[in-house]
Amino acid sequence: MMLLAGTVPVEGLPLTCGAVTAGGEFIVVDGRRVPCTQGTAAMISAALATTGYLGLEPPQALVAGDTGWGEGSRAIYKNLIENIARLAPRVLTLHYCMPDMSLTRKLCDVVGKCDHRPIMIADAASMYAAKAAGLAEVFDIFTPDATEMAFLADPEAIHPAYIARHLFDTDISRTPELVATACRNRSAARLLLVKGETDYVVSAGRVVGTVAEPDVPALEAIGGTGDTITGLVSAFAYAGLEPHEAALIAARANRVAGQAAQATPGTRVWQVIEQFPAVFREHLCRWSRICLAGGGTP
Amino acid sequence: MTFLKRKKPVLEGGGVVLFREVQEALKAEKVVKEAGYGVKLIAPPPELRKGCDLALEVNLVEKPGIQRALDAKDVGYVGVVPLKVGASELLDIVKVTDFGEWVMVKAANMKLTFEKRSGTIVNTSGGGCPDIPHLHAEMIEKKLTDVARPRDIGFTLCALMLDRALDEGLELWQGGPQS
Repeated sequence: MMLLAGTVPVEGLPLTCGAVTAGGEFIVVDGRRVPCTQGTAAMISAALATTGYLGLEPPQALVAGDTGWGEGSRAIYKNLIENIARLAPRVLTLHYCMPDMSLTRKLCDVVGKCDHRPIMIADAASMYAAKAAGLAEVFDIFTPDATEMAFLADPEAIHPAYIARHLFDTDISRTPELVATACRNRSAARLLLVKGETDYVVSAGRVVGTVAEPDVPALEAIGGTGDTITGLVSAFAYAGLEPHEAALIAARANRVAGQAAQATPGTRVWQVIEQFPAVFREHLCRWSRICLAGGGTP
Repeated sequence: MTFLKRKKPVLEGGGVVLFREVQEALKAEKVVKEAGYGVKLIAPPPELRKGCDLALEVNLVEKPGIQRALDAKDVGYVGVVPLKVGASELLDIVKVTDFGEWVMVKAANMKLTFEKRSGTIVNTSGGGCPDIPHLHAEMIEKKLTDVARPRDIGFTLCALMLDRALDEGLELWQGGPQS
């Protein structure tokens, strides 16, 4: 099972867990519709597009409504702490949640005692909490953008709003330097996919690949296009690819989908996500060892 | 045989609310707790003392919501700052990217993009706190001048950074239509 957990901006939505289905601008979790906009829903939707193409079991989602009070976030953490050993997912991805260092610590403690430890992936504020609590190395994959990479490299910051000014000024080409600092400070997951003008894939502190083409600058402005990368890398890791392979394919697929959507800064993320099946049909076999019969059609 | 068990801390918030008076700290604890936030009375690190030896540890990420709760009840405080001595100040610089018909303003991890001609917000991106997807839905397709301020309806540092991006966007827009 791949379990994707995070809050969604649906006021009053209770803690909801179940397999995901989709329909254009919405995802459906246990019968409840959630708009496919920036955040957890975009991440889940991208993962679903990938498992659908590959013919894998759809993701299980654990979501709760939270517009900033933190109640949904705490419900998600508490549910995971109580149930993760029983659920035993192969991949666990943590996404938009109120960063809570204590609950993150408890969850990591429980995961550490699981018979089958899941592949642990974090993005958004779940990544912030993991870094701030000194638990980054418990995670297999982080997917920061360039500013979040600077945050991981800043030993004192507990949120990107507090990174040192000289680190915010850093451009993406200095990513290897920031990565080295973050690794030295034990603030990095084993694999980092740093999203930017050039995407960097870093394994155990070493840059193992970069992706810069196609160049679609508008993607940075579109809310949710970083979230889709997290969903893609989760799904490809669930499919059995090595983390660095999953990350490289995720970075390429997101760019090509943006290009196919003819993305402008006003494009919505679901318009990018709906390109993924065609992108996979055309490119996945060449990018990976995943070549489905019928020229890639599952 | 007696075993001593260390009680685990219930809050690792990374932020501290500083006060001039002990009474204000005690009042603030009640207000913040009643507003639903995690809170712990602590002695501030000596470097952060501002005249009172009692402070509140809070989740720094929830700074805007906590400040709003204190302000609503007229509780005086000196500031909400990182607990770690040596941590940087809140970022106060922004970056601007010109996309031709659109302008993107970036403050820390938050980005806001508006159409030059109309001043309409077409997207927000970045961030990771739970109020951000909500603010995204609230803000897009609205004019910079008409939209609710993230600092007023958001609760987190991500919302505060989005508010800074909006500030800069407004300044650019009100400085005249972008060429």
